[in-house]
Amino acid sequence: MILAPVGWLARVLDPPLRALQRVGGRNGMAIFFVAPNMLIFGIFVLIPLVINFAYSMTGGGALFLGDRIFVGGEQYGRLFDCGNYLEPNSCREDLFWTAVWNTVFFVVLQVALMVGVALITALILNRDLKARSFWRAVFFFPVLLSPVVVGLIWRWILQRQGLLNYMIYELGFDPINWLVERNWAFAAAISVSVWAHMGFYALILLAGLQAIPKDLYEAAEMDGTRPARVFWRITLPLLAPNLLVVLVLTLIRAVQIFDEVYVLTGGGPGTSTLFITQYIYEVGFASLLRNPGLASAASILMGAVLVVLTLFQLGIARRGERRSAK
Amino acid sequence: MSRITLTDVSRSFGSVKVLHDINLDIRDGELIVFVGPSGCGKSTLLRLIAGLDRPTSGKIAINGEDVTRVAAADRGLAMVFQSYALYPHMSVRQNLAFGLENARMPKPEIEQRIAEAARMLNIEPYLDRRPGQLSGGQRQRVAIGRAIVRNPTAFLLDEPLSNLDAELRISTRAELAALHERLSATMIYVTHDQIEAMTLADRIVVLRDGRIEQVGTPLDLYNKPANLFVAGFIGAPRMNFLPSDKLPGTAGSTVGIRPQHLRAADGKAKLKAKVTLVEALGYETVVHGLLDDLPLLAVLPGQKSFEAGDTIALTYDAENLHAFDEQGQRVD
Repeated sequence: MILAPVGWLARVLDPPLRALQRVGGRNGMAIFFVAPNMLIFGIFVLIPLVINFAYSMTGGGALFLGDRIFVGGEQYGRLFDCGNYLEPNSCREDLFWTAVWNTVFFVVLQVALMVGVALITALILNRDLKARSFWRAVFFFPVLLSPVVVGLIWRWILQRQGLLNYMIYELGFDPINWLVERNWAFAAAISVSVWAHMGFYALILLAGLQAIPKDLYEAAEMDGTRPARVFWRITLPLLAPNLLVVLVLTLIRAVQIFDEVYVLTGGGPGTSTLFITQYIYEVGFASLLRNPGLASAASILMGAVLVVLTLFQLGIARRGERRSAK
Repeated sequence: MSRITLTDVSRSFGSVKVLHDINLDIRDGELIVFVGPSGCGKSTLLRLIAGLDRPTSGKIAINGEDVTRVAAADRGLAMVFQSYALYPHMSVRQNLAFGLENARMPKPEIEQRIAEAARMLNIEPYLDRRPGQLSGGQRQRVAIGRAIVRNPTAFLLDEPLSNLDAELRISTRAELAALHERLSATMIYVTHDQIEAMTLADRIVVLRDGRIEQVGTPLDLYNKPANLFVAGFIGAPRMNFLPSDKLPGTAGSTVGIRPQHLRAADGKAKLKAKVTLVEALGYETVVHGLLDDLPLLAVLPGQKSFEAGDTIALTYDAENLHAFDEQGQRVD
C-alpha cells in the first residue's frame, strides 16, 4: 500500500529513462545519475576552492576578483615573512603566527583531553549501569546543540557575573575571571569544546567496545588476567581502529575550531584564544583593513594541513581494512 | 585429580529459573557430556562450574573444596569456548602464553609448555600466525592448546565442534577422544548433538528445561531411557512412540521402539504400515510409514524395493520395546 506511489513513479519514469539509456549508453546513465551531486559539489566546494586559490594570488581590498591585482605568491610570502617562527612578534603577520601557535597548543591539549575523556566515558557507559540509555543520551545531548548555543550557554555560566561565579561566591570563595584571565580563558575554550563534542566520539568508542566479543573477556577471566592487563592487552589493542578514527577526526575538528570559541571569548582576552579560523574570518571579512587575499592564502595553508590529516586518516583506515581482510 | 560435585545448584535470571536444584557428581578423569536441546541450561551449568557465573543457590565443590564463591581463575579449570575466544591481535604463541604470563610463570617454562602443547596438537607451524590466518580446525586446536598449557584440573568444553564442517567435526571428535585418553583429565563437554555425546562420553547428562532428566553411560541411555524425553532425544532417527494398545501385550500407556529395531517380517507380521516415503541410503533403507494414521519410521538394513503406497509387514523383538507410563516415565 505504502509502496504504491513508488510503483507508479517507476512506471512513469521508466520510458524516458530507457530512451535516455538508448541515447547515452550505460556510462551516460551513470554520469546522468551522478551529475546532480557533482553539480552541488562543484558549485559549493570545487569552484570556491579554485576561486579561493585565485584570491590568494591577488592583493588589495576590492571584493570582486576582476577588480583585484595579481600579486603572485606575495600573500604567502607575507605570511612566512618571519624573524623567528616561534616568536610571533618577529613576524610581519604576527596575528597569523599567534593564531597558528594558539591552534597548535589547542590541538595538542584538546585532542589529548577529548580522546581521554571520550575513552573513559565510553568505558563507563559500556558497563552494566542502571539507566544506561539515559546516561548515553545525557553525554550525547550536547552534540545536538548548535555551536553558537554552546558558546552562549557557557558564556552565561563562565562570565564574571555568571552561574559558576555565583555558586563559587555562595560557597564563600572569591569569583574567578574565567573569560578575562588568559590561562582560564584558554582552558575554558578547551573544556567547552570537549563538552560539546565528546559525546560523538564516546559513541564511536562505545560502538568499538561493544564490538569486542564478550568471550574474549571471559577467556581472560579464566586466564586470571588482572583488570589493568585486560585493558592494556585486550581492550586497547582491539579498540585501536576506533581510537585512530577518533584521534584523526578530533585532530581535524580541533584545527578548524571557531564558532563556539568565537561566541565564548571572541578570541580574547587579547589574542589568547585567537585560533586560525577566526584569524582567517577576521582578516577576510571583519577587520577594518580587511585583506581577502591574505585570508585566502591562510585558508589555503590551513586546507593543506587538513588534506594531510585526511590522507593520514584514509591511510590508516585502508591499513585497518587490509589487516581485517587478512 | 579433580572431582566436581554440584549440590542443589539453581540459577535464576530475574523471575526465570533456568536451572533447578542440580545434583551431580563428576568423577575424576571422566569425560562427561551435558546434552540437551537449546535453552535447556547446559551452557549455563558449565559457566557456573567455570566460575563465569554464580549460582542463585546451591554449592559447587572441586575435590571436596567449596568453590561456589571462588573466582574463575582460582578454580584451576580451563575452558574451550564455542567461538574459540582467541585473542585476534596476538599470535598463536602469544595466545598460548597469555594465561601463563598472568600467573608470572618463568619464560623458559612457558616456552616449554607451549612447545609440548604445540607438538601434541600439531600446531607447531602456526605458532607465529594470528588466529585470523588459521582455518576453523586450526583455531580449534589452538583453543584446546590454550587450555592444555595451563595444566588445569579439569577441561570445560562449550560446544567446541559446532563451528566446524561435518567432515572436520568427525575427525576432531576422534582427536578429542584420543586427547582425553592421553591426558586422563576430567572433561566436561557441552553439546546439543546427541551423536557427539554418544561417541565421546563416559557418562551423559541429559538436561531439559533446567532439570537433569537422566545421567548414565551412553548405552544405558540408549538401552534404558528413563523417560519419553530421553528416549526421543537419544538415538537417531528418533524412537517411534505408539499407544500401547497398538502393540497388544505391552505394559504402560506409551510404547517406544527404535526405527533400527523394526525389521521386515518373513513370516507373521506384528505391524502393518502404509509406506509414505522411502529414503534409500544404499547401506540401509529408511522407510516412513503410517500405522493407523500414526507416523512410524523403520530403518531396514540393505536395499529394499518398497514404494510409497505399499503396505509393508514389520516385526520386532519384544525385548527392544520400551514402555512408559502416563507421566512418561519408564516402566520395566
